[in-house]
Amino acid sequence: MTQGKTFTEIRPRFVVDTPPFMHRGYTVNAMMRDMLIALAPAAAAAIWQYGIEAFRVMALAAGICVLTQSLWEKALGRQSRVFDGSALVTGVLFAFLLPAGAPWWLVATGSALTVILGREVFGGIGCNPLCPPLVGWAAMTVSWPVYMDPTAVNLSSSLLDPLIRMKYYGWTALSQGSEMALLLGGQLGGLGSAQIAAVLAGGLYLLVRGVVRWEIPAACLAGVLITGAVFWRFGPAMGIGPASAPPPHLYLLTGSTIFVAFFLATEHSSSPVAVGGMFAYGLLAGFLTVLIRIFGMYPDGAPFAVLLTSLGTPMFDLIRAAPFGGKRS
Amino acid sequence: MASVWKEFSKGLWAEIPPFRVVLGLCPTLAVTKSAENGIGMGLAVIFVLVLSNALISLVRKIIPKKVRIVCFIAIAATLVVAIELLMQAFTYPLYQQLGIFVPLIVVNCIILGRAEAFAAKNPVHLAIADGLGMGIGFTVALTFLGSLRELLGAGQLFGHAVMGGSFKPFTIMIEAPGAFIALGCLLALMNCISIVSARRAGKEPSVNAGGCGCGCCEVKQ
Repeated sequence: MTQGKTFTEIRPRFVVDTPPFMHRGYTVNAMMRDMLIALAPAAAAAIWQYGIEAFRVMALAAGICVLTQSLWEKALGRQSRVFDGSALVTGVLFAFLLPAGAPWWLVATGSALTVILGREVFGGIGCNPLCPPLVGWAAMTVSWPVYMDPTAVNLSSSLLDPLIRMKYYGWTALSQGSEMALLLGGQLGGLGSAQIAAVLAGGLYLLVRGVVRWEIPAACLAGVLITGAVFWRFGPAMGIGPASAPPPHLYLLTGSTIFVAFFLATEHSSSPVAVGGMFAYGLLAGFLTVLIRIFGMYPDGAPFAVLLTSLGTPMFDLIRAAPFGGKRS
Repeated sequence: MASVWKEFSKGLWAEIPPFRVVLGLCPTLAVTKSAENGIGMGLAVIFVLVLSNALISLVRKIIPKKVRIVCFIAIAATLVVAIELLMQAFTYPLYQQLGIFVPLIVVNCIILGRAEAFAAKNPVHLAIADGLGMGIGFTVALTFLGSLRELLGAGQLFGHAVMGGSFKPFTIMIEAPGAFIALGCLLALMNCISIVSARRAGKEPSVNAGGCGCGCCEVKQ
């Protein structure tokens, strides 16, 4: 060390780069291709159910996301990352949360906000503290709740929104034995997120391909089931009417719980990196989902629950094993 | 006279309180739901800031060094009570809109900051010029932020609908998150303008490109 210099005056002599230092050849492109394959069944089911309307929303959202990102990178003089496919996937994920009849200006504004506010202002892919589609979704839900309400924008549809029925008439208002229909997408909701069986198939594909780890979805669904079971069993004793505390499996079969647990809660840069943190994160998200559904103002709690839980990711990241050769911090 | 102008004008752009020195963010974020609220809050701050700077500058030689903060706060609190009573008497609807944020001017960091950094060290005429400039800068900033949020979030400007009938208000902008989004965008815009104008003048931009400023982790442009 040179005499008479403080530590900060000495420039580093080695080029220090950020991790990863080792990889197995699985690129962002390949990962995004897997995401698109996983999203395909639900997209097909949405188009089968809503027709060209669903295709219109998905295509517009994906197109605006890609366009916004390329314009943003051009304006800031950054290296273009449009071709890694992440903007495309973000757009489709955002579209899955929208109702099929969403007006074009809502889809366009929401997609642009998803890319800019959700990700690019923080530095692009891998730097976002929150899941980008959820940021766009939250801004749209707070601003234009009427146009985000599936019942209000799909007037011609003969399907019902089970979340609204459960909220205002109690879960007993759902017809007996409707679980199978709900599972196969016979419900009004986000155009892709309500196709429960197709989304589940896509989620399992992601697990098999190793795009997401099983811990977060499992913990998330366990959190929903456990909290739901507690309220179902002990709700009346706590002063909650039996009609507002449905049996736990109904939380999974309605709204976007499954979609959020597999596709959004697992978003790589906004979820914890270590196993302990993943379990805590998932359980908390599931717990909050049920709380918002029972007590909250918004019928579908899952997106807000994950958005809130992601804010705690830096805290969950503190739950981790000691680094090799180091002390537990 | 030149020095008076210099002290006055620095608050208008070079050190404009909420955007450049990022002071007084509590009222900046909380009351700027509409342009009218912004201007009202700004005027209240001008009143308190000019008078507190003048008073503190007058008594700066007799305040003991050790208890100066208490003296500054006492002077500011007296003035804030005065403006609060005046607002209750003459502009009651505005007073109700601003609510708790009028009394909170007492602990506004701009008031205390200018008292400590400027008024306690300079003669009265300079202190008044400084307070007036900072106050006007604060008012302009709040009115601008308020107009922006009101325009997008409610489609109005000073309470008049200006965006046409087919405009669907982007409600999040007048909610709390909208304040942060709008302020963040404006700060980015200010930095952008400074960088461009510095480059045009042929100087190295003074805005830090990133990192902690130690030079080791700066982002390469």
